[in-house]
Amino acid sequence: MSLLYTLKVGNLARKLEDILKVPQHAFGYPLLKPEGLTPGVREGLMRLCPSGAFAEAEGIFSLDLARCVGCGRCALAYPLGVGEMRSLEVAVTRKEDLVQQVDLERGGFLDPGPAPAPRRELRLPTLAFREVSAGDTGLTDSEIALLNNPFNDMGRFGFQVVASPRHADALLVTGPVSRNMAEALRRTYEAMPEPKGVVAVGNEAISGGVFAGSSQVLAGVDKVVPVDVYVPGDPPRPGAILHALMLLVGRMTQRLVGGVLR
Amino acid sequence: MGKVREALREGRPVALFPYGDRVVLWVEYPGGEKGVLGPTQAFFLGERRRFPSLAAEFPALDWFERALWERGFEPVGHPGLKPLRRHDLPHTFREFPHLHEVPVGPVHAGIIEPGHFRFSVLGERIVNLEIRLGYQHRGLLSLMPGKGAEAALLLVERAGIEPVAHAMAFAEAWERALGWGAPPRAQYLRRAALELERAFGHLGHLAGLFTDIGYAYGATQVGRIRALLQGELDRLTGHRYGRNFIRVGGVWREGQPDLEVIAAHREELARLLPRLLKNPQVLDRMRYVGEVRRAEALALGFVGPTARASGVGRDLRQDDPLYPGFTPVVRQGGDVLSRAQVYAEEGLKALEYALFFLRHLPAGPLALDPPPGEGEALARVEAGRGEVVWFVRVEAGRVVVAEGVDPSFKNWRALELAVRGEGLPDFPLCNKSFDLAYAGSDL
Ligand code: SF4
Repeated sequence: MSLLYTLKVGNLARKLEDILKVPQHAFGYPLLKPEGLTPGVREGLMRLCPSGAFAEAEGIFSLDLARCVGCGRCALAYPLGVGEMRSLEVAVTRKEDLVQQVDLERGGFLDPGPAPAPRRELRLPTLAFREVSAGDTGLTDSEIALLNNPFNDMGRFGFQVVASPRHADALLVTGPVSRNMAEALRRTYEAMPEPKGVVAVGNEAISGGVFAGSSQVLAGVDKVVPVDVYVPGDPPRPGAILHALMLLVGRMTQRLVGGVLR
Repeated sequence: MGKVREALREGRPVALFPYGDRVVLWVEYPGGEKGVLGPTQAFFLGERRRFPSLAAEFPALDWFERALWERGFEPVGHPGLKPLRRHDLPHTFREFPHLHEVPVGPVHAGIIEPGHFRFSVLGERIVNLEIRLGYQHRGLLSLMPGKGAEAALLLVERAGIEPVAHAMAFAEAWERALGWGAPPRAQYLRRAALELERAFGHLGHLAGLFTDIGYAYGATQVGRIRALLQGELDRLTGHRYGRNFIRVGGVWREGQPDLEVIAAHREELARLLPRLLKNPQVLDRMRYVGEVRRAEALALGFVGPTARASGVGRDLRQDDPLYPGFTPVVRQGGDVLSRAQVYAEEGLKALEYALFFLRHLPAGPLALDPPPGEGEALARVEAGRGEVVWFVRVEAGRVVVAEGVDPSFKNWRALELAVRGEGLPDFPLCNKSFDLAYAGSDL
């Protein structure tokens, strides 16, 4: 039983390419299909999405991946208008790259040009990071902690968590940044030696997510400290966070440009 | 007020929250069958944003009254008001002359949510701990009014670290408000997800406890099975923590967890956990550490495993007809070991229940749209950490009033009690043994 069971569930550290994939049973990140976006579909999508990820203005229909909570309802209800991306390589260095924009008149994605390269001075062989939870519900923190489990085992890629910001090359921040945490976040950042990078992990850390309208949050890590990498998700799966770390240190490239995988 | 006091003496407070310019106190009090506590009753107190304080007599209400005070209500006669979530109000820590003070946080060494702990120590020994939270306050409750069911659920699923339990309590409150109920298949699926969430959480507490005492073997073994079980929750709900699964009127989807795999994990845990918990290293570090007495648990209104490990045998699943013959897991020790034993036993039971619900899924639809209309109701669900409470008033498909309580809000003071007299290095262990949600407390 034991060997069979091991084979069935795979009790070994997974290969990187497997970690970076959305598992079969789950919905990936939504992807607009420009040709299927008829007026009826667009209106339906905007009505249906619980997180308000879709928007239309001045002939542009857009989908903000940093708002999407990954419920999968859009692709289910409008398969002609929305497909899905099954890769977890969704971390970006520019926030705008999380938004898919379709030019309704020309019928195609807007091209934002080439992806920017990550900062040179952060090209590091290993990375020690400190994590600050700033209004996160705790689940994004949990996903970061799970990078250390025997399945993801981030240690083999040279990544480790450190207790003090003085020992850290990078800062991972989760949550929309509550007012009450802003000062502690800023001071943690200032305590880090140069060069230092910051990763905003999860929708809330990018621009507040579902808390964007609250007077008690600042709605985005970049309101307090400069951010190098944004990783969307609700929370992002550990693989997506691993890709963000790889992107930060220049070991992988940015694949999501203009909200679409390249 | 006589009636309120009587109810509080016989029963226990469930929630205290604003309702217009009055406050409403929900009390669970005797009357149920089998000698367990039974129905809840609402009492309206005060008017024009003033109400008589009961905190001195019933300390379980202290934090509730402080939270109300921050929201512009005046608990007349409260013995010592201090902010909980608002950091713009003055806050002074209790001072102990001649004792050394050790401040910790809000940013901690590990990957956890922020909170501030102020220890007053004599040498290595903790004489007093005062906890200051509020760092996770995101104004969640203030965002609820005006929201439709789906937008409201997005917030509710972020109200604590247990999204399934919160969403379930909220959806049930909404359904009850309209005199509605989810179809049987959805009821079973909801409970299956709830039990998987519980098992996942409890194993997390156990793995954390083993880590904190330096028992790497135990931590790795439990952590491994926990990660695999998370995959099954993911398969069932489409989300690694069970978000986007429950809706008002039912559930959104029905995934395909592998029942054989869940059963195999349960078997393995049933062999593994008793052995791990009997290890001398575990007994040595966890026994008689971080004690919370039964009388304290009762007076301060602790809930969930925290209460049950201190001999207070109350679990909301006792009142749920879908759990026939349910008996709560109770331990008398009140120490870290007792809590670990409760987690282990409840975790195994949770997997049994999850399998039961998934194997006996009734036929029928996954959801039925609730009728239009208006109404209000309170619903409670036994989450891994204790009772989750949601109250909602609905009019024309929108939230008019919504108030929620995460179990951690009721349990945080257990930590202050548990560490009294312990050595400072035992703090992380005691903390982990409750594993409380910060964000849930900071709503
Ligand atoms: S997956 Fe859900 S949240 Fe994301 S865009 Fe589609 S409908 Fe909106």
